[in-house]
Amino acid sequence: MNLRLTNKQINIIEKANPFLIVSTVVAFTFGLYFSLLQSPPDYIQGDSMRIMYIHVPSAWFALLAYTILAGSSVLWFITRNPIFSIIARSIAQIGMIFTLISLVTGSIWGKPTWGVWWVWDARLTSMLLLFFLYLAYIFLWQSITNKDLASKISAALAIVGFVNIPIIKFSVDWWNTLHQPATISKLSSPSIDISMMVPLFIMTLATFLFLITVFFIRLRIEILDNKILRIREVK
Amino acid sequence: MFALLKRDLYLALYSSSSFFYTSSFFVLVLIILPFLFGTNDVQLQVLFKGIIWIGLSLSILLTMERIFNADYEDGNLDIIIQRNPSLETIIISKYITHWIVYCLPLFIILPILSFLFYVSLDSFFLIFLNLFFGSLGMVFIVTFVSALTLGAKRTIFLKAVIVIPLFVPFLIFGTNLESWPILLALSMMSFVLSMYVSAYGLRLYVE
Amino acid sequence: MNELKIEDLTCYRGDNLVLKDLNTKLKSGETLVIRGSNGSGKTTLLRVLSNFIKSYNGKILFNDHNVLEDANYRNCFNFVGQKNSLKDNLSVKNNLKLWEIIYQKNIYYSKLLEDFHMSHLVERDVGSLSDGQKKCISLLRLNFTESKIWYLDEPFVFLDEENSQILIQKIKNFNTNNGIVIITSNINLQNTFTNEIKI
Repeated sequence: MNLRLTNKQINIIEKANPFLIVSTVVAFTFGLYFSLLQSPPDYIQGDSMRIMYIHVPSAWFALLAYTILAGSSVLWFITRNPIFSIIARSIAQIGMIFTLISLVTGSIWGKPTWGVWWVWDARLTSMLLLFFLYLAYIFLWQSITNKDLASKISAALAIVGFVNIPIIKFSVDWWNTLHQPATISKLSSPSIDISMMVPLFIMTLATFLFLITVFFIRLRIEILDNKILRIREVK
Repeated sequence: MFALLKRDLYLALYSSSSFFYTSSFFVLVLIILPFLFGTNDVQLQVLFKGIIWIGLSLSILLTMERIFNADYEDGNLDIIIQRNPSLETIIISKYITHWIVYCLPLFIILPILSFLFYVSLDSFFLIFLNLFFGSLGMVFIVTFVSALTLGAKRTIFLKAVIVIPLFVPFLIFGTNLESWPILLALSMMSFVLSMYVSAYGLRLYVE
Repeated sequence: MNELKIEDLTCYRGDNLVLKDLNTKLKSGETLVIRGSNGSGKTTLLRVLSNFIKSYNGKILFNDHNVLEDANYRNCFNFVGQKNSLKDNLSVKNNLKLWEIIYQKNIYYSKLLEDFHMSHLVERDVGSLSDGQKKCISLLRLNFTESKIWYLDEPFVFLDEENSQILIQKIKNFNTNNGIVIITSNINLQNTFTNEIKI
């Protein structure tokens, strides 16, 4: 019944932090060097295509974050260990920000490519809906005052959302083929040259490290929040 | 089961959520169309297929506080749960009531509406089927969201944020005339999901 | 003879310990008053007893059956909580009719209302009544089933002197008909009911 975070878990989180920050900075330095200076411009799109090195990793990690969110919610149901509820909450905000980044960069990329800021492309639209799934999760968590109850309820919503992602994806894809028979699929370049693969790989690694760093910072904040809440309750 | 259903229906009747109110709502949502877009009959036919889903979504969404919230806040849910040990019965009774009160009127006036918007008989039947299977699924969805958000503040906007992304697949397939089997499948999936999640939500909140 | 036994009841709400090692026993015809300051777990106790809260340590036995396993138990008690279970936008009569359907029992509500001298209010909307009047109507639910136990959560709040006396009389009548009553209360009822525990 009375589950709390162990000191060991908190210690790992606190000690990993400086190491993570340093490695993120290093990875981004390399990644940006390779993607902005070392790699050739696209032969059709020119330099504007370089935004892909931010756009693609953030879109991947936006999806990964929802998977982690749903996965930790499932684990929370099985184990009832509060660490999973805290993980879910921390990753939700990060995932939402990554979704937002991928939407904004996608839109910026779209301007030179398609000539408009927004295209009702299947991927962009699905990402937009994913953004609202994150938003719903965060809103629900915030609007229930009893935090114990809130974590139970939002865990259920996270899982429902996860079940819905493939359905939404499927229906949006279908809708897209229906309304735009000639799909503009510049975002899904079929084959990427090796000279672009290297920077993309490094940027993906850098973005991943960034995700982990921010995630650990958020974890610490949530844990401290929890402590404050408990101290208040005891008083 | 039937006692509960009777009670829910009487509650709707006493709260003057009668057939006339709901169907006037649908009519009013739809007569905005010619005012906004003119009276070109081909254009109206196209818009009709979309706006009717907006009407249905709004009717289901705006009234979702009546599914569990009202009974939860005034304490009637306690009595209902004490008298009916199976939460599933309670949930099914809520599905049926919500559908009868807030969706059925649409189907009754749909022939008149399609007549007003020059819809051909063939597409009328397909629209009818789509709306029927879609409305079932949408009711399942709002029911479980309502059960999950019983204790939440600022509820109707919160609920809209949760519900509308879940409505999107229904709306996408709903506006396509041949896709009623997909809507049926979606509704069956939401039924299974909704039963589990609503029961889970109710169990948490009555504690 | 009925007997309600609470054995080593311990209950957590989240991480907070709300009820700790509660033991008590009640026989037919007895009334127990539970006193305690706000937030001390009185309502939690009643919700545990009425099977709404199912996760706790310890046992609650009614006639030696664990209430969590006894399917018949839900028909044996009546719970009147702090929420009135009334719809503000409906008339008193319609509210009572809805209860009739839930409880599947026909009630002569005009006669029932007369108990609290309220039969003239039958057509009024509940929203226009005072808190005390609403409380009285919600207490009428006690007459909707043939129960053996009453759980009353703060029943005297909002009641005036006269209606309090009527309620006390009702409880005493129920006691003489072998009913068990558990009341939570902020105020001292020791002049009326001697059996009292503090939590």
